[in-house]
Amino acid sequence: MSNIGETSDILAQRKTYNAGLSQVSDKSRATWFPLLLLALLTALPALQLVGNYNYLIHLVLYTLCYVVMASGWNILGGYAGYISLGHNVFFAVGGYFAGMVFARLGISTIIIAPIAGLVAAALGYLIGLITLRVRGPSFIISSLALVMIFRIAFENWHFVGGAAGVSLQANDMDVQWAKLPYYYAFLAMAAFALWASYRIRHSKFGLGLRAISKDEVKAESAGIDTRFYKVLACAISAFFVGMAGAVWGEYLTYIRPNIFLVILISVNMVLMCILGGKGTVAGPALGAVLIVAFNEFFVATLGASAVNIMATGVIMAVALMFFPNGIIGTLAKHRKLPRILNWD
Amino acid sequence: MLEVKNMSKRFGGIRAVDDCSFTVRKGEITALIGPNGAGKTTAFNCISRTMAPTSGEVWLDGERIDGLRPHQITRRGLSRTFQISRNLADMTVLENVICQSRTEGWRDMFRPALSEAEIAKAMGILDFLGITRIAQEDGSNLSYGQKKLMDLAALLMSDPKIILLDEPAGGVNPTLLEEIVGHIRELNAKGLTVLIVEHNMELIMRLSDRVVVMAQGTVIAEGTPEEVRADPAVLDAYLGGVLEAEE
Repeated sequence: MSNIGETSDILAQRKTYNAGLSQVSDKSRATWFPLLLLALLTALPALQLVGNYNYLIHLVLYTLCYVVMASGWNILGGYAGYISLGHNVFFAVGGYFAGMVFARLGISTIIIAPIAGLVAAALGYLIGLITLRVRGPSFIISSLALVMIFRIAFENWHFVGGAAGVSLQANDMDVQWAKLPYYYAFLAMAAFALWASYRIRHSKFGLGLRAISKDEVKAESAGIDTRFYKVLACAISAFFVGMAGAVWGEYLTYIRPNIFLVILISVNMVLMCILGGKGTVAGPALGAVLIVAFNEFFVATLGASAVNIMATGVIMAVALMFFPNGIIGTLAKHRKLPRILNWD
Repeated sequence: MLEVKNMSKRFGGIRAVDDCSFTVRKGEITALIGPNGAGKTTAFNCISRTMAPTSGEVWLDGERIDGLRPHQITRRGLSRTFQISRNLADMTVLENVICQSRTEGWRDMFRPALSEAEIAKAMGILDFLGITRIAQEDGSNLSYGQKKLMDLAALLMSDPKIILLDEPAGGVNPTLLEEIVGHIRELNAKGLTVLIVEHNMELIMRLSDRVVVMAQGTVIAEGTPEEVRADPAVLDAYLGGVLEAEE
């Protein structure tokens, strides 16, 4: 800083450099790809006009349901680093809340879904206040305990039909179009979940959650209200899972503890995030697509036996050997992530 | 400015900090020294509330802070570093630093993580410390010394009134040590109050305005470096042993 001319030069350079820093991530992003995907998925049901693609519609719908749930799970499990195996509790609570409103008052679960999400979020907040005091294995075990508690509670609660559950009226549309309301509901929720996930990742809140996942003591001493952050993350994450559950019940035309409160559902959420890349925006979506695809492929080729589950497991294990941080996470680390998959 | 009154911390039967009282005056560099196991780091942890003290009071600028949570203490202007640098892996140095930027309430939580103003401020701090070129490095890829500098940068991001440095010179090479000392001096000259735990006696004598000596969890002497150096109790408890070992 010897003379003034030089100083202002340096300042100007620094300004451009700093401006570049905030755009580093933007440059490598291809926003058009997710939008194109959304457009294609919106148009997909038009196939019904030329043939019977009910099975395909079902598969995409099923995948979208998991995209919503895995993205929701990712907010607590990926960003904040709290692995929960109990998130299907929120799936069940959302499903039962909307399902019961539908059964009693006849209001479609698609309309109720956001409220069901909020109910799940409120529960998530309360549960978070208690269970998020511990981390690591203790937290995982407490989340598992939660599933057992809720399963017993729902199986013995007569108002909601106990273990037999409640059957819900199917809609009276043609079989060809009957799936579509749910299809579009899940598509909208998946888009919303991914958008929210993106927004959170790029907010102070997201930065705080990432700090919590790396070193909670440091995060707290950096001035982050870690307790509130993680409890809020749990609530937001429960919101998405609850919303998905709400529509899922009506889609299946019944609600019953054993469709929501089985460990496989929460394990799926976790595996999708781990395979796709936990803590990334695109990871849970990619993971959901891959795991549903593997499952279908192996069920089709090996039959619906234990063999197909094993085959999916082997694929998972092999994938994680080559992609230890998940597919998106590992590719991004080696700077080999295709632009179309960089949603972060 | 910072006042510790009769603070104690027990781990089971062990009194790590035992009825410890001292004050840190505004605008000064105060050093907290003592032999290994004297309770310096525990005292630090209790002040910043990383640990809860068993009893006693801590006052910052006339406000009692020992009942607050760590992030609240940080927001009131008391920031600390850790003895073993705790950095956030998988986050860039810039993110590590900006993480410590002040946020209040809901609105702040959902605004962009790295605002232009914050980037400019963070880069200014990194520039002051001479480490702008590592801004985009992963926090965990840094050398030990760079981590210490990054810690200091993060500390400054929170606009502290007083900083607590836990062994800023530990494991750092002599050149970098001089650099860190220079930065601490410069910050102090700008009005920042500093409380520092350090083992390097030569450094302490050079750097600090006042020295608080702890042994077995309690304060045994307090004064200017010269006074403390001449205090027979201190020589007995600490300096003699260490100086012999060091020289």
